[in-house]
Amino acid sequence: MTETFIHLLSYLEPVLCAMLIVFLVRSKAAREYIYLVALLSVRLACSAICLPLIYFCSRGIEQHLAYRAYFYVYWTSYALEAILSLMVIYSIFKLAMVPLKGLQTLGMLVFRWVAAISVAVAIGVAVTPHISKLKFMVAMVTQLQQTSSILTLCLLLFVGFAIRPMGLSFRSRIFGISLGMGFMATISLVDAAWISHNAEMYSTLNIVNGIADCIALLAWSAYFAFPEPKRRFIVLPTTSPFLRWNQISLALGDDPGFVAIGGIPPDVFAPAELEVMRRASSKMPVSIDSATALHSRSA
Amino acid sequence: MKNIVRAFIVVLAVTGAAASTQISSASSSNATTTVSATIAKTSALPIPTCAPDDPNACGMAGK
Repeated sequence: MTETFIHLLSYLEPVLCAMLIVFLVRSKAAREYIYLVALLSVRLACSAICLPLIYFCSRGIEQHLAYRAYFYVYWTSYALEAILSLMVIYSIFKLAMVPLKGLQTLGMLVFRWVAAISVAVAIGVAVTPHISKLKFMVAMVTQLQQTSSILTLCLLLFVGFAIRPMGLSFRSRIFGISLGMGFMATISLVDAAWISHNAEMYSTLNIVNGIADCIALLAWSAYFAFPEPKRRFIVLPTTSPFLRWNQISLALGDDPGFVAIGGIPPDVFAPAELEVMRRASSKMPVSIDSATALHSRSA
Repeated sequence: MKNIVRAFIVVLAVTGAAASTQISSASSSNATTTVSATIAKTSALPIPTCAPDDPNACGMAGK
């Protein structure tokens, strides 16, 4: 009974993935959410390979061979999904912060550093003495996926609480994708805690995962099936920290000006420039004298 | 509505944070066992928790 339900959900997932890709293309949002399309395509391709392997296991393909192929396809696609999830979060953050260019630039810089450090930590944690390639791959993918899940939840918290200054609403696709990703990230972290107590190929965990995945895919489909409301006109108070930090971040990216401070031969200047400087310097003592005279008169 | 959605987001984040603390302890306790997988895809696909050369093919053929 459990296995039948797992198989049913396994077949439903690629159908929903394909439906969502169709909605993305039809709503002309595929280019804007290109990493989401790539993520869904990887999931679809993984299901397209894995489901026949499960079906034909002991029905035409020798089960050890089928399991070996299944193992590598599953973990390779998982690694790709972890990387693409990071890119989806990155692109969502970029889209969400479009009205606040300064914060967008600063946030993306921070995000790139965090992502690079996360990947380095994932590799570092996976590398231990006398480790096999297989264990290295599983450990690295595990660490990368956990990092990606935590970053996704951070993004969801940010989008959920800073939705008004970004001119978004709960019907915006950016929020919908963040919510779906956040939901899947939470389930993924719960899985990781659960799997250590129940490491079987077919278990209740698959049903929970399958249902969560279908809910997220259906929610995304609804967001892309209907037209998105336009971004609201943003009015922020002048004391808003978003506005203040945006101005600071914009100033941080400015090209610096240059000042000549000494050692400049007079022949580098044009005659007109020299004349201006001569007149200015001839006026300076006069103005200083007049200022002193004014000061003494007022005293 | 706004508060309900925000409360849901906070619940998701807190659940994720609580689960991640359990992962750390689970991973360290698994270091000496033979279980290699400590995470699974958010998908109904069966999870290959055994090594690829498992003599029972991890029970892939089902019961």
